[in-house]
Amino acid sequence: MHLFDISPDVPWLSLTWLSTLIPCLLIMVVPSTQRELIRWIGAGFSILSLILSLILFFAYDPLQGGFQFVERLPWMPQLGINYILGADGITLPMLVLNGFIISTGALMSWNIENRLKEYWVLLLLLTTGVYGVFVSLDLFLFFVFYELAVLPMYLLIGVWGSTRKEYGAMKLTMFLMAGSALSIIGLLAIYFGSGLRTFDMPLLAENVVFSRQFQIIFFPPLFIGFAVLAGMFPFHTWSPTGHVAAPTAVSMLHAGVLMKLGAYGCLRAAMWLMPDGAQQWLPIIAVMTIFNVVYGATIAMAQRDFKFIIGYSSVSHMGLVVMALAAGNQIGLTGAVLQMFAHGIMTGLFFAVVGRMIYERTHTRQLPELGGMARVMPFAAYMFILGGLSSMGMPGFAGFWAEFSIFIGVWERYPLIAIIAAISIPITGAYILRAVYQVFFDEVKDPEFLKLPKLTWQEYTGGIVLAIILIGVGIYPAILTEMIDVGVTPIVQQLHSAVVAVGP
Amino acid sequence: MFQLTDIPRILPEILLIVLALLVLGSDIFERWSNDAASQRERSRSAASLTIFGLVMIFVIVLLQSGYVYKLPEDAPVNFFTNIVRNLQSGGPVGDPILGVFATDHLTVIARLTLIAAALLTALLTLDFRPIGHPAEFYALLLSSTAGMGLMAAANELILAYLAVELTSIPLYIMAGYFRAETKSSEAGMKYFLFGALSSGILLYGMSLTYGFVANAFNASISANNLTQFDTIARAAFLSDDGRGMLILGMIFIIAGLGYKVAVVPFHGWSPDVYQGAPTPVTAFVSTASKAAGFFLLYRVLVTAFPGLNGSLESFDELSGWTTLLALLTLLTLIVGNLAALPQNNAKRLLAYSSIAQAGFILLALLAWASPLPIDREMGASALIYYLIVYTVTNIGAFGALAVVSMAVGGDELSDLNGLARRNLGLTVLFTVSVLSLAGIPPLAGFFAKFYVFMAAWQAGATWLVIIALVTTIISLYYYLRFLKAMFITAPADDTPIATPLGMNATLIVTTVLLLVLGIFPNLILSVIDQVQAVAGAGF
Repeated sequence: MHLFDISPDVPWLSLTWLSTLIPCLLIMVVPSTQRELIRWIGAGFSILSLILSLILFFAYDPLQGGFQFVERLPWMPQLGINYILGADGITLPMLVLNGFIISTGALMSWNIENRLKEYWVLLLLLTTGVYGVFVSLDLFLFFVFYELAVLPMYLLIGVWGSTRKEYGAMKLTMFLMAGSALSIIGLLAIYFGSGLRTFDMPLLAENVVFSRQFQIIFFPPLFIGFAVLAGMFPFHTWSPTGHVAAPTAVSMLHAGVLMKLGAYGCLRAAMWLMPDGAQQWLPIIAVMTIFNVVYGATIAMAQRDFKFIIGYSSVSHMGLVVMALAAGNQIGLTGAVLQMFAHGIMTGLFFAVVGRMIYERTHTRQLPELGGMARVMPFAAYMFILGGLSSMGMPGFAGFWAEFSIFIGVWERYPLIAIIAAISIPITGAYILRAVYQVFFDEVKDPEFLKLPKLTWQEYTGGIVLAIILIGVGIYPAILTEMIDVGVTPIVQQLHSAVVAVGP
Repeated sequence: MFQLTDIPRILPEILLIVLALLVLGSDIFERWSNDAASQRERSRSAASLTIFGLVMIFVIVLLQSGYVYKLPEDAPVNFFTNIVRNLQSGGPVGDPILGVFATDHLTVIARLTLIAAALLTALLTLDFRPIGHPAEFYALLLSSTAGMGLMAAANELILAYLAVELTSIPLYIMAGYFRAETKSSEAGMKYFLFGALSSGILLYGMSLTYGFVANAFNASISANNLTQFDTIARAAFLSDDGRGMLILGMIFIIAGLGYKVAVVPFHGWSPDVYQGAPTPVTAFVSTASKAAGFFLLYRVLVTAFPGLNGSLESFDELSGWTTLLALLTLLTLIVGNLAALPQNNAKRLLAYSSIAQAGFILLALLAWASPLPIDREMGASALIYYLIVYTVTNIGAFGALAVVSMAVGGDELSDLNGLARRNLGLTVLFTVSVLSLAGIPPLAGFFAKFYVFMAAWQAGATWLVIIALVTTIISLYYYLRFLKAMFITAPADDTPIATPLGMNATLIVTTVLLLVLGIFPNLILSVIDQVQAVAGAGF
């Protein structure tokens, strides 16, 4: 969608990640008694970062394709480490997604009173890391931002969380750091194995063909290292625990964007740089993701805690993303990236409803204890149902197009797996409808619920924004797919040439 | 021949000793009395003089090194340029003085690191509990620093030994400086006994090496340079006769220095000593003393035993010092990190963490298993970068702990509970140090670790890098316990804690350094890269 041109002299991508780092520093110097000011600084800069992402999104020229708005600065050139930023058709939807989630997440954080200043600093630091990962094209830089995005989570969950927060925080951090240690192995192998001594990803992808043997050995650490963050089975157990323990905005960011970081790393670093290894391992990974998709959905069915349902549904949906990655064809990868976007928005909406609108008021998330919420806060019910419909893959919602492409892509390569995975569709419908019934339409269990405080304007705004995107993309998916299609093409070509070289 | 022009080259050590005497002498003019006020006054004036002097010396060494400012050839001749020109004539150039005292880039960088460490330690002590005999304390600190400078510069066995002793003996006394406390006395005594033992081992290794060299040359060479590192290397190159003795000597030297840098299995003393010693002293022992040990170890191995570097390919038999160090690295990483897990005393936990850190530093030395100069250069840079970063980080961590233990009266992990609500600034500074130790970007500790991993990986120690990565994750668990205590757990009482000025200065300096060095490592990497030209290496 090339609507206008932007000046090439402005470092747009640097500005994007700086736009959430600067408020961190600002908030540090604001006295902590200025609570409203701190919130406005945080929310204002979050929205600024969204606007910057949208500018980039609409200025990208899909006809030209490739990486645009590239910035290069020497960092440690003698070691082949440079500051390289660039955006392509995969990056930009992710940037916009992150922009929307942090903006609405900021609105949903308005009720945080306890140690407000630290909360906002950490939240924005986390966002900075996420933006940085999406825009960096140098593997080292990529990794620096990646860890920056993971660590603030420990404190955000540990301090402001609920339900076994210390355990959840520690588990999440240890899992994700273990994942990142795995990917360091892949990183070092690429650095030395290429013979170029560089971390420049486009350079590596275009000029280096690693030996087959090498790729078969080092593809798994790199891929799995990132797939841990994407919640791939059997490394998914941190994710429901973490989501449940986290405060609302953090759950939104985490399930909405951070897990996408993992899938993005798999796609960008592992599959792009080591296509031979990918071809070798992807079938095995595809089999693993069946567990994610079907088992995740089944477990979600059995949960009584509302947040756990969403947590396991994330595992299930992210499983679909990784499964589509494993299909490795054009339509599969396009579906994967679209699903990353759709699931991000949808999960954001879910956690906003469950964590902020319901739990913050009722202080319980047990399905049997809730009920009749549609009467108490109809808006929350509408929002949850909208998200639920998208989650079930109802036509007219973003989720439909994503899952549709994913299943076509997977069918093309692994028909059996596609059939098995399709079982998750009715299960998803079942657990969503069960939750909708028990929470919103059953009789009111506790008369106190009828006296709950009204929703605030921040909650209305955040919910409406996310819902509009969900429906908007559902009605006009080409706004994203056109761009994603261009973005995944080079990766598909790499994978394809690997097949040709190896034989079918 | 020692020439008058060599004096600028040993100026920093001379100045340190002079400053030590000055601090001792000036104490006479203070008010000697037993009341607390005058004791504090004496303490502070000795500390201030030390700090002032160390800042001067640091500036002089920095000027001398020419890293920041190099006087152009065609500079006008006047009073100031003459001073600078004379100083810079003693910069990192030339052969070792008399063949024994090298003033190459390694020495200069080591001096800067060690003097900075002494300065930060002195700042930490400024507001620490008043001590009896303050002047002696600072004189010991300064002479120990001078000894460390000599350790980094020593290019000959006897000087190396003397430097090690000059470094260690003051440290024994400083570790036991709170005589009234059993823990402190115990620390001093333990440190002394272990130190004496390790000196014996070191000396034994040196005598074996000397025997080999003397035998190899069979008195055909003038006998006064047989202990020089490059002569040892030449002897090993010329003669195969009695090589076993040389290898044994090398092992003993590594073991002796292994005690100083506290690598497993020579680490037994360090948790007790670190825990018992006054916290600023712990900061100094765990950083400067360890760094100096590594500087010496690096120089000995590279200049005296370059032919015995061995390889990491086969482990059937000991093939050289990289094989030996690989084994020590493995032990150090595993034992250091696992033993840290169950600790409940913050100081002891940091002690085990420093042991584990020594394992990461050793990884860099493994680069010598590769025959390619480019890999070895990477190893050298990685080693020095890690040492500098580690020194800064650990001083920050122990410094912050010193503040807490002074205010709360203990150094258990539970004493850190809820620190974020009592002093947020201090907590942030502490957190930065701890996260840098854990290797979280963008702090300097991350790039340091990444860099040594790169060096070791390229040298063929892939499996060791993978183990090191696993231990990094283990270490993250105990580093996160600090964060958990400080941010998450509720404090026993909510009274705010104040950070004294001197300590605050130290902590802010270390934090800023960790951020700056982490985000822009090239600021010092360009200087560090010159270390490769070790004086006398490759004879």
